[in-house]
Amino acid sequence: MREVYVAGIGITSFTRLEYPLVEIAAYPGLMALRDSGIKKIDHLYVANMGSCRINHQSGLASAVVDHMSLTPAGAETIENGPASGGSAIKQGYMAVASGLHDVVMVIGAERMREVNSLDATDFVATLTHPHAEYIYGITLPSLAGMFTRLYMEKYGVTSRHLAMVAVKNQANAMDNFYAHIQQEITIEGILDSPEALTNNPYVADPLRFFDCCPVSDGGACVILATKDVLKKLEKPMIKLSGVGQATDSHAIHERKEPTDLLAVREAARQSFEMAGIKPRDVDVAELHDAFTILEIVESEEVGFFKKGEGHIALEKGVTKIGGELPINPSGGLKARGHPVGATGVAQAHEIVLQLRGEAEKRQVKNAKIGFTCNLGGFGNNVICLTFVKEEN
Amino acid sequence: MATNVYAYKCRRCGKVHYPYRTICKKCGENDHNEFDIVPLAKKGKLITYTHLYTLPADYETKALTLGIVELEDGNRITAQLNIQEPQIGMNVVGKVDVVRQDEYTKYLGMVFEKT
Repeated sequence: MREVYVAGIGITSFTRLEYPLVEIAAYPGLMALRDSGIKKIDHLYVANMGSCRINHQSGLASAVVDHMSLTPAGAETIENGPASGGSAIKQGYMAVASGLHDVVMVIGAERMREVNSLDATDFVATLTHPHAEYIYGITLPSLAGMFTRLYMEKYGVTSRHLAMVAVKNQANAMDNFYAHIQQEITIEGILDSPEALTNNPYVADPLRFFDCCPVSDGGACVILATKDVLKKLEKPMIKLSGVGQATDSHAIHERKEPTDLLAVREAARQSFEMAGIKPRDVDVAELHDAFTILEIVESEEVGFFKKGEGHIALEKGVTKIGGELPINPSGGLKARGHPVGATGVAQAHEIVLQLRGEAEKRQVKNAKIGFTCNLGGFGNNVICLTFVKEEN
Repeated sequence: MATNVYAYKCRRCGKVHYPYRTICKKCGENDHNEFDIVPLAKKGKLITYTHLYTLPADYETKALTLGIVELEDGNRITAQLNIQEPQIGMNVVGKVDVVRQDEYTKYLGMVFEKT
């Protein structure tokens, strides 16, 4: 297999965007072309979860490739729930590594705020098991709420730990121009003050408003290419060194240990093994914190910390920017936002910025190895990517 | 109205699946006619729960209490709870009731109460 590198990156603001989905996809693509200096691509993958359902648009990749005047390059839409972005990068990796293509553009794009929040929540809830979960009124927040309660009971995680994730990630996002949530919060304001219940009401207890990611529009892009192409571009050599993917049961209640996210564990193991590194070699990570509890659990399942000790590392400040292993310097899904299909690509975008040393105020010092974990469903389809900076 | 929620028991190895799947997860039996339809137990213990306050559009109540129950037959089920103050580990008993209703359809499922 050939080695695969990131040639260019681009991103839109994650917020409510008042322009069509095709353009939300095209702008980060345009930025990535400019960033890389590449004019022509062999293939386009567009990650998206909801265009058919919420934007009345099918065949998104065909529309985007023409909108960008990149025809006759091949184009495909990749739908894999909230893990669509990671999946599309994996497809791009396979296309370049196999020798089929030399230059592949991977875009993730979603426009969720075209519909109201009830419809957006229902759209995401279609991920749940139709007969065993959805009919009961189960949504992703309710699965996360039940999961969190069990986790608290078993491992001693408290609401304070969850709030610490929210405070950390919202603080990180203050230095990210593209992040959806630009608001600094304090533990006092969302947990301790008499107004905390008003500021931070329960959504699916024990999870509260500030434990949940916002509903966002947004797009992100990475261009993947061969080593030969990269050498001509004079760009930093950021190698996509490890790709892992695993699945788990659809209905959560069927999992032997409902507090385990086995697909995260397995996808991370594959990714690290392929890259030839150990979890603690990682300098910076973007984890899928659609709910604050998930950042803690994933940090354990990928192998950064022992099972049940993620919240202790959080307490010690290990995962802050400036700590030993900063997690979600971009603000994560929690604060950068979560346009579902775009998230996996946005995670890769942040890691490439960090490894290039272009992350400005939120830069993690001397970051050489980066890692992303993109979660589909409630952990039923997970993609983990490992990026390594090579000296030019 | 129906009185049971049904599970699928593999005729080859006896493993009971809920919800339905086409291939037995334990022995790999893959003839979909080789599953017996068996009622799930009604009694069990509550494993976890949540009060959901942001409800899907089909509901007109203020909150919905949802939980996962480990049934006496060893299976687990995700369901609604009609319990004011649920506690992990409490004994519950289920009955079939309307759990969701839209313009055209009433959906039936298990609703648990305290025993």
